[in-house]
Amino acid sequence: MSLTLAPTAAETAYQGFALPHRRQEDWRWTDLRQLLDQAYPPTNGTKASAAEIDRLIATDALAPFARARLVFVDGAFDKARSKLPATGAITLEHLTHGAPPSSARGAYDDPLANLNDRFCRESLRLTVKAGTAEDAPIALVFVSTGHEAVTTCTRAQIIVEKGASATLLETHIGGAGAYVASSLIEASIGDDARLDRVKIAEDGQAAIHLASFHVKLGTQSSLNDFTLTQGAKATRQQTFATFTGQHSNIKVAGAYLLNGKQHADTKITVDHAVPHCTSRELFKCVMDDQARGIFQGKVVVRKDAQKTDGKQSSNALLLSETAEFDAKPELEIFADDVVCGHGATSGSLNDDYLFYLRARGIPEDEAKSLLIAAFASEAFDEVAHEAVREALGELTQGWLINRKPA
Amino acid sequence: MLEIKNLHASIEDENRAILNGINLTVNPGEVHAIMGPNGSGKSTLSYILSGREGYDVTDGEVLYKGQDLLEMSPDERAAKGVFLAFQYPIEIPGVATMQFLKVALNSQRKARGEGELSTPDFMRLVKEKSAALNISQEMLKRPVNVGFSGGEKKRAEILQMAVLEPSLCILDETDSGLDIDALKLVAEGVNKLRSPDRAMIVITHYQRLLDYIVPDQVHVLSKGRIVKSGGKELALELERNGYAEYVGDAA
Repeated sequence: MSLTLAPTAAETAYQGFALPHRRQEDWRWTDLRQLLDQAYPPTNGTKASAAEIDRLIATDALAPFARARLVFVDGAFDKARSKLPATGAITLEHLTHGAPPSSARGAYDDPLANLNDRFCRESLRLTVKAGTAEDAPIALVFVSTGHEAVTTCTRAQIIVEKGASATLLETHIGGAGAYVASSLIEASIGDDARLDRVKIAEDGQAAIHLASFHVKLGTQSSLNDFTLTQGAKATRQQTFATFTGQHSNIKVAGAYLLNGKQHADTKITVDHAVPHCTSRELFKCVMDDQARGIFQGKVVVRKDAQKTDGKQSSNALLLSETAEFDAKPELEIFADDVVCGHGATSGSLNDDYLFYLRARGIPEDEAKSLLIAAFASEAFDEVAHEAVREALGELTQGWLINRKPA
Repeated sequence: MLEIKNLHASIEDENRAILNGINLTVNPGEVHAIMGPNGSGKSTLSYILSGREGYDVTDGEVLYKGQDLLEMSPDERAAKGVFLAFQYPIEIPGVATMQFLKVALNSQRKARGEGELSTPDFMRLVKEKSAALNISQEMLKRPVNVGFSGGEKKRAEILQMAVLEPSLCILDETDSGLDIDALKLVAEGVNKLRSPDRAMIVITHYQRLLDYIVPDQVHVLSKGRIVKSGGKELALELERNGYAEYVGDAA
């Protein structure tokens, strides 16, 4: 018997859309009925001043590296602030007539995608043409001004055609006010194609970041995905990856840099629907103060998916007594000739490491920072773009500098 | 350089005395060997001198260049020139060896009020010192001690010592796990650092290392106390007769 709960203010603003809550297994740590503590009516378009928007856009750490840059402000594509891809390898379509789900969407029950389906008014479709290698990254910049307590819905569809390759940089930034940012990225990676994606989740301190990434891979294709989560009051982000062709591989990595009362919950499902594919998940989560990090990784190996190689690991570094980490690894294996594993660790800074560094003259705070940065950086070691990798290192340093007691 | 006076220490929370009144004076330019059986307190002494937590000093004092060493944090001691070559150098994943060396050197220089070394000058320094210890560029590219063999770790410790140029070097069983070629290489590195204004304490089980690093004085540590001191010939005598004579009062 299902129990109908009285709609919350947020659900009313969502025209009765039922938010997932803790009694649903996948949402046990992130109860959206509770988190969305007021009405956040969906809107599209901004009321913020140009100066405010420009100030926020200027904080995008990945701005220097993109050849094309597509900017959204409070849900609406901002062509004037964007730099469109030069015609050639990439075609860009701006869809303003509502946004149907793409073929990358699996048959998952994804309430975040459903919410986005319901209220998203426009989207972008980027197609990287067959056989083209796009070395310069393409950036998607999602700005939420936080000018009003609203929900903004954005979505982009990335199609990397057969034999093509592309690097996608995705930045989520926002102002100080409370808001909900709903993001949906759907990617199709064709046969012999490659997609590298780097996402920085740096929404404003009162924001709720709700993101889903659905991706399908063809034969001999690869996805190298990294997400840095350091913004927002609360984050729920999900990756649903499906192998549809053999001999493909996926790397999904992430780092958390959380403090205060921040909450971040990542849910990853990798579906090995076909044989001979490899998946790797690595999350390095740093939590200070009363922050709480959650990692839920699920690897599904279907009956025929022999020779699957799937591994996931999550490591938490707790910098205070009151920080918390929860890990829920899941393996659902229906094939019998596979190599799958998972590991989760959680601990504080290693005293032996710390003493070794201090015994060489490195002061305690600096030694701690070095160790924290080293811990987090393992998650972005495999980001292929060197300058982007360095920028991620600098973001980590920036977080560490702010952390130090004045 | 170093005056240890009546040092008593125990392991924190265990109330078990490890050092029971050590007296030792080390002057600039001298090399002192401390030998003794397992459990005699050799490593504890090295950790207390370098400032590791987990020990209670219950009596006595340690003066380093006339200052109270035990009052200083580990990094302060290092900046003032105390260096411990670890018996078991730690592997630190994610921290690049070169970055570690540079941060360490510049932290020390900063603490001493000296200017930081520029990157090219630093690179030159490390290149020169590492070549002498047969440490490859490839090793330097790895994270601190990660994937190093036992011998490589010990050489890396000596490289750190050569780069940081401490005044007081404490070598804790630097010979353990080394084959004879590696031992010679390490000893050569250590001998290069011998100078009239630098002192060394060489902790070892075996006399073998002392063939290559010839000490001015040898001390036998037993049950947390120096029970005999002498010249380098004492080490030879220990090699012949073992420690039995010094641990004789065991129950």
